[in-house]
Amino acid sequence: MEQSTVTRKEFIRKSAWMLAGATFLPGMLFVEDAGLKKGGHAHKNKKYTLKNVRLETGFVYHDGDVIATKTELFMVDVDHGKIKNVRSNQADAQAIDARGMLMLPAFKDMHIHLDKTFYGDAWRAVERRTGGLKGMIALEQQILPGMLKDSAHKAEKLIGLLQSKGTAFARSHVNIEPTSKLDSLRHLQMALDNKKQVFGAELVAFPQHGVYYTDSAPYMKEAAQAGVDFIGGVDPFTVDGAIEKTMDFTVQLALDYNKGIDIHLHETGASGLKTVEYLINKVNENPVLKGKTYLSHCFVLGKLDQAKQQEMAEKLGAAQIGIVSTIPFAGLIMPIPTLLEHNVKVMTGNDSIVDHWNTFGSGSVLQKVNTAAQVYGKTTEFGLSRMLKLATAGPLPLDDKGVQQWPKAGDAADLVFLDASCSAEAISRISPVTSLIYQGNIVF
Amino acid sequence: MIHTTYAEPVQGHYTLKNVRLETGFVSDEKGAQSTQTGLFCIDIKDGKIANIYATDTPPANAIDAKGFLMLPAFSDMHVHLDKTLYGLPWQALSPKKRTVLDMIAYEQELIPELLKTSTERGAQLIDLLQSYGTTFARTHFNIEPTSGMRSLENLQRALDLKKERFSAELVAFPQHGVFYTESAALLREAAQLDSVQFIGGVDPYGIDRDIEKVLDFTVQLAVDYHKGIDIHLHDGGKEGIRTIEYLAEQAVQHPQLQGRTFISHAFVLAQLPASEVQRIAEKLAAAKVGIVSSVPFGALVMPIPALVKHGVEVLVGNDNVQDYWSTFGSGNMLQKANLMADMYGWRTEFELSRTLRFATNNVLPLDDNGKKQWPVVNTGAEFVLIDASCSAEAVSRVSPVMAFAHKGKLYRKQ
Repeated sequence: MEQSTVTRKEFIRKSAWMLAGATFLPGMLFVEDAGLKKGGHAHKNKKYTLKNVRLETGFVYHDGDVIATKTELFMVDVDHGKIKNVRSNQADAQAIDARGMLMLPAFKDMHIHLDKTFYGDAWRAVERRTGGLKGMIALEQQILPGMLKDSAHKAEKLIGLLQSKGTAFARSHVNIEPTSKLDSLRHLQMALDNKKQVFGAELVAFPQHGVYYTDSAPYMKEAAQAGVDFIGGVDPFTVDGAIEKTMDFTVQLALDYNKGIDIHLHETGASGLKTVEYLINKVNENPVLKGKTYLSHCFVLGKLDQAKQQEMAEKLGAAQIGIVSTIPFAGLIMPIPTLLEHNVKVMTGNDSIVDHWNTFGSGSVLQKVNTAAQVYGKTTEFGLSRMLKLATAGPLPLDDKGVQQWPKAGDAADLVFLDASCSAEAISRISPVTSLIYQGNIVF
Repeated sequence: MIHTTYAEPVQGHYTLKNVRLETGFVSDEKGAQSTQTGLFCIDIKDGKIANIYATDTPPANAIDAKGFLMLPAFSDMHVHLDKTLYGLPWQALSPKKRTVLDMIAYEQELIPELLKTSTERGAQLIDLLQSYGTTFARTHFNIEPTSGMRSLENLQRALDLKKERFSAELVAFPQHGVFYTESAALLREAAQLDSVQFIGGVDPYGIDRDIEKVLDFTVQLAVDYHKGIDIHLHDGGKEGIRTIEYLAEQAVQHPQLQGRTFISHAFVLAQLPASEVQRIAEKLAAAKVGIVSSVPFGALVMPIPALVKHGVEVLVGNDNVQDYWSTFGSGNMLQKANLMADMYGWRTEFELSRTLRFATNNVLPLDDNGKKQWPVVNTGAEFVLIDASCSAEAVSRVSPVMAFAHKGKLYRKQ
């Protein structure tokens, strides 16, 4: 984000303006003084105005089909971390110039492991896996003590990557097991505290080594009281050998401490389906969990026939259980369109960026949505524009009828700016991210 | 649109220092664990690599490659430089369902308009490909009664504008059928040009409804004028298989076509059981007929690992970058290699390093045993410099391209 019309130097040279500027141009000065790239001070209470902000205002129809997206330039007032007003553009106003970039809700990475990454390290490929998930648990028991030494620093670097791709918020899983104990959580909390002005997160206590396969239950209880938002889990049948015992523990912990649930489920067979059904029943029995219970991956849904997919989508939708998917694109295809049709909340995330599990993560949720658009054949203006909800974890500028529904006064000023003419183009071309604002703070 | 600016090209006789080259694998009992590299000086002269040597005292005027990894320049082996919408305002695909025949009718309307600016759009697309390290392309160009020879002429102008840094081989592509529209005479005219290296085609059954008639014509033209063949095949089912087998049989009968006959897409292979894929792959390998793929994913996944395993030459290209057929192309060959590695589960150091071949038209710095085989003294200086420690990292992380050289001319990003 750059100042319009004058650079700071030119501005200072015009001394008459300088005097006036202190009074009339707060936005400009705050940007100059914010020092946010260095993790500077909070200035949520500061006000500023953006001009030449491109917003989507409607669809263009031809023969009943959406053939393009209408946009116009606006002024956006930001105050106390929120959007205060959206008003008609004045190109010559003294304000921060968005230069016609498209403004969208900032992206959210809703499945990532910020606590254990090799990002920023020298390159190393993954080794050929032996022993399945339990082999990976053994590997982690070996390498985690070393990784924990600088996991806070690595998390901050990884957050920098996500921000550069337009993401201002993440749901991060954090390892809770006897090897890390609560150290992975504490390190990540330190990193997030350093970034709190420019990046938001919610945390999932993730018993990566099983709740009972390794003795993680006491640590999970401790974590539930140490600032996490969700109780996690992983493949109860494969790792712990019993669906019910693990799920009952997880659900009870969430209820006891008023948390959500977000469980990794990779199992594709009968045990996978049974786990989904068991969780649906538990949520229906405990309606307080509705809207805050999620299954990550949930590959089993990709293995079901179409009728069963619809049935499960309906049940998940009714129980308000969401699905978080990394959008697999070969071998197994997730029924994401079916889930969306049944009002299941679907979100996406990068999961691994570069670590001992996988080295292919780009850090861009826009790229994830691009993949989804290709997998599900969303090639039209309308089809593409609807997919944006995967990147924003919800909000879309236009509703299905093309009525503008975002941004509105009072909305959080979590904003991404892209060099694109509309969201359909941004998704199809993975358009460059030019600026990011988190809670009113200009990140870049 | 990409606007990449480069420093003035370095040319003539010069030395590059601090060039990272792969020198071997570090292996244990489980195989290659990492890739060994070293820093070298490389002399370039007359467009060729004149010398490769390690030294503590590089020439004073040597250009610093800053430890970037040198890899073979990338080649895009299936693209349509002549009819892109890249550089024009965004336009999603039409919501109207269109068959291939509908698309032909649509093109007949659209092409006269596109031809007005196709030279500059082709040049812009070349710039995009180059920004990702591609210096060579196999490009199809439309040849049909609507374009006549004008798609070719405009494409040649675009290539001429970029000839210092980019080259291409051309496929005469009868997009509207050989006989469905009267394109046979135009194809014959194109086949006589030195600038055209391949006779193209598209769905002999789907469009012309006669596999043998179309392929006999195509093969005869290629034989008569000493050209290769590269036909688009989207047809599935028994017609798709028949087309592949018939072309392979023709290549067996005409040995001069072997090694220069290709089928682009060949989607039918994605619909077959493994045993049938193997049977056809063996036939293709024996006839030295290659497959060119844009690497589809989602509902249709090409059995590329099986093709490679059975000795079929597999080439890869972007195909559409942004046009009325698709708007999803990145133009980045390293991204294609990354997609393939991710999709086919090629994750280890060794597997990732082998995957680079799909970006480089099958040139790799190390052979399968880790023996250095590229670059070679006295061969063309055609390379990229990448911000990566080894090919495996470059493929997995889609590492940034910092510079490229075409025929010895070095272009560094500013």
